[in-house]
Amino acid sequence: MSMDADTIRHLSEVSVSVELQTEDMILNIGPQHPSTHGVLRLVARVDGERAFDVQPVIGYMHRGYEKLAEVRTYPQITTIVNRIDWVSGYANEIPFIVACEKIMELEVPPRAQYIRLILTEMARICSHLVFMASYPLELGAASPLFFALRERERVLDLLEGVTGGRFHPNFNRIGGVKPAYGSGSQTRKLVQDLPAGFYRDTRAAMSRVLEVCEELDDLVAGNEIIHVRTKGVGVLPPDVAASYGVSGPNLRASGVDFDLRKVEDYLPYDDLDWNVVTGTNGDCYDRWWCRLQEIRESAKMIQQAIDNVPTGPIQAKVPKVIKVPKGETYVRAENPKGEMGYYLVTDGGNGPYRVKIRSASFSNLSILPWVLEGAMIPDIIAIMGSLDFVLGDVDR
Amino acid sequence: MGVIQKFGAPKPVSWLLNWSRKYSLWLFQFGLACCAIELMAASSPRYDFMRFGIIPLPASPRQSDLMVVAGTVTDKMAPSIRRLYDQMPEPKYVISMGSCANCGGPYWDSYSVTKGVDQIIPVDVYVPGCPPRPEALMEGIVLLQKVIQGEDVREKWNRRDLQPV
Amino acid sequence: MTSNQSDLTNEATGTETTVHPLQEFADGVAAAVGGVAEITVGTVKVKVPADRWVETHRIARDDLGLGFFSFLSAIEWANEVSVGYPLSEPVEERIEVISTLGDLSEGKRVTFSTDLPLDSPRIQSIVEVFPGANWHEREAHEMFGIVFEGHPNLVHLYLPDGFMGHPLRKSFPLLSREVKPWPGDVDVEAMPGEAQSGGGSDEPSTENPEA
Repeated sequence: MSMDADTIRHLSEVSVSVELQTEDMILNIGPQHPSTHGVLRLVARVDGERAFDVQPVIGYMHRGYEKLAEVRTYPQITTIVNRIDWVSGYANEIPFIVACEKIMELEVPPRAQYIRLILTEMARICSHLVFMASYPLELGAASPLFFALRERERVLDLLEGVTGGRFHPNFNRIGGVKPAYGSGSQTRKLVQDLPAGFYRDTRAAMSRVLEVCEELDDLVAGNEIIHVRTKGVGVLPPDVAASYGVSGPNLRASGVDFDLRKVEDYLPYDDLDWNVVTGTNGDCYDRWWCRLQEIRESAKMIQQAIDNVPTGPIQAKVPKVIKVPKGETYVRAENPKGEMGYYLVTDGGNGPYRVKIRSASFSNLSILPWVLEGAMIPDIIAIMGSLDFVLGDVDR
Repeated sequence: MGVIQKFGAPKPVSWLLNWSRKYSLWLFQFGLACCAIELMAASSPRYDFMRFGIIPLPASPRQSDLMVVAGTVTDKMAPSIRRLYDQMPEPKYVISMGSCANCGGPYWDSYSVTKGVDQIIPVDVYVPGCPPRPEALMEGIVLLQKVIQGEDVREKWNRRDLQPV
Repeated sequence: MTSNQSDLTNEATGTETTVHPLQEFADGVAAAVGGVAEITVGTVKVKVPADRWVETHRIARDDLGLGFFSFLSAIEWANEVSVGYPLSEPVEERIEVISTLGDLSEGKRVTFSTDLPLDSPRIQSIVEVFPGANWHEREAHEMFGIVFEGHPNLVHLYLPDGFMGHPLRKSFPLLSREVKPWPGDVDVEAMPGEAQSGGGSDEPSTENPEA
């Protein structure tokens, strides 16, 4: 029988463990370590180089969002909600605002919807570029960090030109987006809400983003070390992923063709021509590749949307003090990390009665004990990085 | 070096010591939350704090001079922050970045957030903002460098067991 | 979704009452699990009795094709709140456990809910049916005090050791808000000519605590 790499590895381990009677060791990774994920602590029981029981300890960033949302009014909640997944700021506000608007049965003007769509896709590009920057760094490649962060600055300039904030924009209002001058229910014929030169700058930035995707493709996907470290590592079968609640590019890399942008109707994605990106194997390489393709798809979506932004008002008529009538709803959206949803229970007061935040990284991280069963210690880092979670999203 | 501890140093020597210290800070980034992303952006090619002599990513806290607490400090994380601060050798400086680390920030009424990192460790410079722009962080670093230049070397040496505020 | 839209257009032309496009799906789910269906603002909600909680999820996963576990949480319906906004009308006080499942082909989703008593809420754990419920149940346990029977490791998830109380209960106060209700309210000083009766607006005075 031919000796492949796995057999050789297994035989060498068996021979070593017969000679040395080793005990297992508890290795504590974290909570402070130089990575973008944040304050996550892993308690790993390792036997030599293999880990067989990895338990994440979370809660080091628990700020109590659900309790804080109960004591704030609706506009105050939108100021803190974009700090849940702090890499993609704008995308966190969308499901909450859409949930309030659905209960109030408000019709959002089409111009506001298009602006929301453009900014959400820009937030998706920013989030995936941070992943592109930090994941190869964890595997040992330091150059993609600078390429990706340099392009991210261009997209952040666009976001800042429209909203005023780099990644905590607080740009949504109930009924639309933030109006250009002062009070909320003025409607004007020609609205100067997007800054001058926005269309031209966006087109230039998107073509530059597509170019940097080519560069990253060459740098990372063409590298043999990355292939060996990520292909076949951390395979996630689709049914296990679904029963744990894993969503977003992690689920699509396992071959499941499911994207909430096509299914839920919270933004006008049906007007644009785009494809859902799926992978084949569900290993780390596929997860990386899905995100790279999603950057390309988002850039193409923005290029289409920029040409067709309708004119009109940008906020529906709402009263000065917003009271959402009694109701319950669950609205979910495709956050860059996965499915983010808000279960909103309102009662007609100034603020909601209960807000349950379903965050994508919480479910994505809960699969870690399952997928790290029997993994080598360096593979722990590779698999953890490929799941792309953010601790603010996990702990809320 | 008991000489500095007892007698201080003449002005040119102390100027030289402070000058070398302020331009070779090794930054221990305690990036906890959103401000960590701005810290990362401050080291990216556009804003680039390396030109001030600040180098990120020491191998361990025992080799660093400057600790930037960037992000929300929760009660669960607070003992780790204290332990890592104690591991840093003197002279050490702390910058508190962002409003969560300054005073609790937007989570001032939460049940699990420490209202400001200066309840645990002494802070030299506060950088306000939510999150502060990379330029604001660099202004904080430049301000810290001015503070270091004007320090009295003997007093810094004898102040080693400073208790938190 | 196209068949639902044609249902809506057929119904809207002739009859007075328009049928919600999800009604047929909701009734099918309710009949399969033995619960009561309700459609609230585009969300299908099926209430089941507490002793059929695990059975419901098993039927939903195997027969109805809802294999995607979204979340599990709870809502506490209480008439008195220590912080936040009280309810406008009194309700029956209970803890309602909700869990949302979805399918991965068309994107339909159902929220199952059940009621538990307020004093000692206990319910079976659904970890054998959906292993992803492990962490969600731990969070619901530490935030509300619900005991999930059959859970392998029901310990604190978020809060530090030694934290007392269940934060998301309506009776849990936020101490910072007791001292100062909201900093934005209390920075109004009286004008020099107006009434200067010792202190600004309606802040609770901390010098004279009640009792």
